[in-house]
Amino acid sequence: MAANGCVTAVQLGSLSQADKSQLHLLPCEVEHDGPADVAMFFSPTVKEHKCEKTVSFRGRGLKGQEVNCPQGYTGLVLKEAQRPSSDQEDRIVMVSSVFHNFTYWNLETPPTSDDCVVMAMAWPKLAEMIHAPVDG
Amino acid sequence: MDLSDFEADNSVSCRLASPVPEACKSEDCCLGIDEAGRGPVLGPMVYGICFCPVSRKEDLKDLKVADSKTLSEAERENLFLKLDKAKSFVGWALQILSPNTISTSMLQRAKYNLNALSHDAAIGLVQYALDCGVQLKEVFVDTVGPAEKYEEKLSQRFPGIKVTVRPKADSLFPIVSAASICAKVARDHIVKGWKFAEDLGEVDIEYGSGYPNDPKTKSWLLKYLDPVFGYPQFVRFSWSTAQTLLDSKAVTVHWDDDEEDGEKAAARQNNTSMLTYFSRSKPASAPTRETHRFFTERRLQSIDTL
Repeated sequence: MAANGCVTAVQLGSLSQADKSQLHLLPCEVEHDGPADVAMFFSPTVKEHKCEKTVSFRGRGLKGQEVNCPQGYTGLVLKEAQRPSSDQEDRIVMVSSVFHNFTYWNLETPPTSDDCVVMAMAWPKLAEMIHAPVDG
Repeated sequence: MDLSDFEADNSVSCRLASPVPEACKSEDCCLGIDEAGRGPVLGPMVYGICFCPVSRKEDLKDLKVADSKTLSEAERENLFLKLDKAKSFVGWALQILSPNTISTSMLQRAKYNLNALSHDAAIGLVQYALDCGVQLKEVFVDTVGPAEKYEEKLSQRFPGIKVTVRPKADSLFPIVSAASICAKVARDHIVKGWKFAEDLGEVDIEYGSGYPNDPKTKSWLLKYLDPVFGYPQFVRFSWSTAQTLLDSKAVTVHWDDDEEDGEKAAARQNNTSMLTYFSRSKPASAPTRETHRFFTERRLQSIDTL
């Protein structure tokens, strides 16, 4: 719930139509909010040696690896059908895609278990443990 | 010329070589170095070496090799076949620097410029010849940059070998002409038969010479510009021609090592400037506790609004 008292609701009915596209987390900020020809320009150029993937984006070398969502969790990409005109209205978002893993990319540096995305995935498990009742 | 090793993955650098003639392992040899495709915004840059026994220099002259730029494409092809036939005393090797290698090297965090890239390719090829057992005594190099410094660098790197670096060496020394023919023939073949790794369907191959001032190249660059990805890997992103087009026609991309004004970058990242931060009254429910390092290091944040 937002601070101003409005509700943001996820329309679960949209879940069945959500696509399951491959997700890429890039180490840069792209000033673009919309579709991109990933299947045309990006996916076919990804090279894989063992677990390490390499690709380039805008002429810069990226190295990456696939990470899974924490166990018991599903990744969602949410999209707002219509942004309300005032901040007093409730908001409705749809699930535009669902993912269980994604590829994150570093600029030039090989992926390691110390990368912040990888470390972040450990939090749900840790949260569960620290909130669990302490046994006698 | 069999380019299949490079074509199997044209996003990386690749070395191709002829067998090393036995004569080159037992007799004193000379070696020429030249490059093809330094200027174009499209396709690879190819470094070539050619070597033969010093005693066979005249035989090389008899093949009538000349500076590759003064020859027609057909003449170059023909001369390459002759060189290939002279394999009892002539050997060659190529280092193909893919356009993707050029882009990612030149745009690397620790910048790796084209001169350093070229010098390293040349040094790598001479070392390759030595490793193959070629008895090198003389090396002739064509250069566009300052010849003296480069000559000194190579002489120090290869003691015992007489290094001559000259502008237009490709028209002065037949062994350099031979190297320039090998390099140019390879580049021409690669550019003509470029297999796009991208899923572009039928690609218009009217890309002209690849030089930035060629109108055909210019219109090709406009045609294949993607607003998000920019270009296929066939294009050298580090060329100002490509950069200028991307700056004006593609969406802006920010990297953490961009040389951007600090305050501007901060404002963009927070969508707010320092000044508005100071003037804004703090919301009543502002959290007073500082977030633990565990969360900041993982860039984890609680959010209550989208």
